Amino acid sequence: MKNGNLSQNGEVCIEVSGLWKVFGSDAKEIINSEKRTASKESLLEETGCVLAVRDVSFQVNRGELFVIMGLSGSGKSTLIRCILRLIEPTAGKVLIDGEDICGYKSKRLIELRRHTTGMIFQYFGLFPHRSVLDNVAYGLKVRGVAREERYARAREVIAKVGLKEWESYPPSALSGGMQQRVGIARALATDPEILLMDEPFSGLDPLIRRQMQDELLNIQAEVQKTILFVTHDLDEALKLGNRIAIMRDGGIIQIGTPEEVITTPSDAYVREFVQDASPAKVLTAGNIMEQPNILLYEWQGPKAALHILGTTGLDNAFLVARTGKLLGLVTLKRLVELVQKGGSSLGEALEPDPLTCTPDMLLEDLFPLAASTEYPIPVVDDEGKFVGEVYTSTVLGSMIREKTEEAEAEAAKVEAGEVAAEETKTDV
Amino acid sequence: MFEFPEFLSIPLAEWIDAGMSWLLTNWAVFFDAVGSGILFGLLHIERFLLWLPWFVIVLLVGLLAWRVMRLWWAGLLMAVFLVLIGSFGYWDLSMMTLAIIIAAVIISLALGIPTGIIMARSNLVESIIRPVLDAMQTMPSFVYLIPALMFFGLGKVPAVFATIIYAVPPVIRLTNVGIRQVSPDVVEAARAFGSSPQQILFEVQLPLAIPSIMVGINQTTMMALAMVVIASMIGARGLGLEVLLAINRIEVGRGFEAGLCIVLLAIIIDRITHALASRQEYTVQT
Repeated sequence: MKNGNLSQNGEVCIEVSGLWKVFGSDAKEIINSEKRTASKESLLEETGCVLAVRDVSFQVNRGELFVIMGLSGSGKSTLIRCILRLIEPTAGKVLIDGEDICGYKSKRLIELRRHTTGMIFQYFGLFPHRSVLDNVAYGLKVRGVAREERYARAREVIAKVGLKEWESYPPSALSGGMQQRVGIARALATDPEILLMDEPFSGLDPLIRRQMQDELLNIQAEVQKTILFVTHDLDEALKLGNRIAIMRDGGIIQIGTPEEVITTPSDAYVREFVQDASPAKVLTAGNIMEQPNILLYEWQGPKAALHILGTTGLDNAFLVARTGKLLGLVTLKRLVELVQKGGSSLGEALEPDPLTCTPDMLLEDLFPLAASTEYPIPVVDDEGKFVGEVYTSTVLGSMIREKTEEAEAEAAKVEAGEVAAEETKTDV
Repeated sequence: MFEFPEFLSIPLAEWIDAGMSWLLTNWAVFFDAVGSGILFGLLHIERFLLWLPWFVIVLLVGLLAWRVMRLWWAGLLMAVFLVLIGSFGYWDLSMMTLAIIIAAVIISLALGIPTGIIMARSNLVESIIRPVLDAMQTMPSFVYLIPALMFFGLGKVPAVFATIIYAVPPVIRLTNVGIRQVSPDVVEAARAFGSSPQQILFEVQLPLAIPSIMVGINQTTMMALAMVVIASMIGARGLGLEVLLAINRIEVGRGFEAGLCIVLLAIIIDRITHALASRQEYTVQT
């Protein structure tokens, strides 16, 4: 296991060592016999037992966002449940703040779940018979906090996730993204030290997912929890994780920072993953475009435009016709010159030869455009109407990652050829 | 030619007879205590229903039906049905019948809901109780009517007892089903936030099982009503006895009147408890 111990020199919050979970009647015997090294499939065939987690060890530092990534069936969801003993581990230790919780009696375990941890689920797990407010206050209720106090705290958290108007509604009245905000609020309400998140954003559509990821990062910057985050999405892992553990067939095959996972994948399996995660071949301008803070319209005078730019602190803005058609880019420099000259039409302050792109243009094709300009690139539809803008920095940022991966892939090809020969087709 | 072999015969009947007489001699005090407890409750319910002026009951039932069904004419209709029962001259007998039903249903729920909860928590318990419930529902009722008579004597108490045996299975089954069908995701979430087993039951499982339990209560009540006619054969006064007497004397008109009163009573009870059950469902789904 490469880079397994490489982490910021923080205090260890969660420590998992030698954790096993085998479902089946003779689970213990399997772990203590030579069968422990057998593959998942042969184990199932021979003993009828399902191996979910195999000898997993890792440490999570306080305040760290630790991502466990793996495809479905890799055991990641079982692993995160073993940490709270929602599923009893077959063998191994789970230490939270230095205490082995596997030795806890059920009372201590309930106390741990009430005070130290909070969990967020893929399918939300909200209580359908309770209002949003009661859902969020649930953790405090089971803890025995008085009604007024728990509602006050729940309202505070609901406001934080932006659902203030929804507190008296049942969860079923909310969209998926909003329901997961309730899930997050419910976990935050008890102010736990540790958050366990089991694919929290996998059920949401891509746009909402990205938004929720950003919000999670904002919340994390504010509250600084120790977060264990499970996902099957490498992009999500790379975006959120301080460190990432990659799981396969129940075991961890690599632990490292996002940088390390991309640049030095520990084996062919991880490499394959990382290659697939090349956003430039998948994402389009439409995916990454944003709405500008301001637009200038053709009927506005130069002085008014100057005022608008001045108050927003921007040095450029797109000029749009009454019909919504893009006319070009107005820069602060040209606008000032125009006002000094005493010109009357904003059209005279346009940057010559403006670049444009369409929403379905691949990121890959945007790279050359982005490299040739210092301004945002406007996105226009078939009729020339302005629909959004793409930031050069966003495009170039993903290009840098792309290049590194490509170089890696090239270098690895020779080596991979050999590995592929031994590796019997990993069709996961 | 192929007679069933003699040596395979099982003297089950003798065993049960022996068991019965053992119970009767050694547990008589217990059965007396249970019997007088039931009788005490039953008589108070009956006395209360007969003490209430008829128009108060008509008014209350009408209002209740209107509230739970949210239709003014439904309330009116239920009130009219009650007045009809009175005008046939069966008011007092109907109230006696109602008292038996109420007593049997209260005891059935007190026994049935906890049993359903226990059944939902263990597959072993479920597999034991399930055939017992099947037996309770399919066994011809005379088979346990007579032993009930032997334990509790003639009258209303064995009638209540037999009614409970016949009516308790639906509420047990539907409590069990209601709890089992609560989404495992929701139960897991409750566990993850540190709920104790009692909290999981009372905060999550039971509230979510209420629509199902309400259907069970409705069915239990209807089955209790269906049992009342049969129970009259062991001396419980009420509408059932009236039907029985009329048939014995071949008084078709009288029998029809009493039978119609049972039907009207059934409609009133069914519509009200059914509306209660579906209203629960409604509030949970929104």
